[in-house]
Amino acid sequence: MNFLFGSLTHFQAMLFFAVVVSITFAFLSKRGLTERVKYSMWAFLAFLLVAIGIGWLMYPFSQ
Amino acid sequence: MKREAVKGNQIMAVAAAIAGWLVPGLGHLLLRRWSKAAVYFLCVGGLASAGLAMRGGVFGAGAADLFDRLGFFADLGAGIFYFLAHQIQMAGPDVAHATGDYGTRLFAAAGMLNLLTVLEAYDIGRGGEAA
Repeated sequence: MNFLFGSLTHFQAMLFFAVVVSITFAFLSKRGLTERVKYSMWAFLAFLLVAIGIGWLMYPFSQ
Repeated sequence: MKREAVKGNQIMAVAAAIAGWLVPGLGHLLLRRWSKAAVYFLCVGGLASAGLAMRGGVFGAGAADLFDRLGFFADLGAGIFYFLAHQIQMAGPDVAHATGDYGTRLFAAAGMLNLLTVLEAYDIGRGGEAA
């Protein structure tokens, strides 16, 4: 596992987190394959957009 | 998808919740929710293993402050992955680097995610809404 996860960037770790949590949330809250696929994709995109948005908002403070 | 009915039973619900906490997905396996059991094991196990592989820190029971105590409860939610953390993570934690810090968060997220699946297993065992 170390060779896979040992040198992930912040963005890659966030992508991994978003995929796994989206799938779990979809199985927790939806029934049926189609509903679950739709929900997990929606949640994944939401995670991604929120993370990029917050990163963009915080960018001026890093200067 | 055909769903097998689960007759509500308090003992079964508690047993499923404890089993699901100890081994992610095991509670759902006892309740014959095969796909959920597999997905929860892979997702929680994957997240916990990734956190450990990234050399994330695992909070111990003797926490110094409130945040550490919260971290301990979050980590404890990962069940067997918490108890085997030191065996899986041979090199020990390294939170001085960013990757180790991400690993700490991933492991805590795995614990919290597993606690959600435990609540669902309990609900299914009782014959509740999720059943």
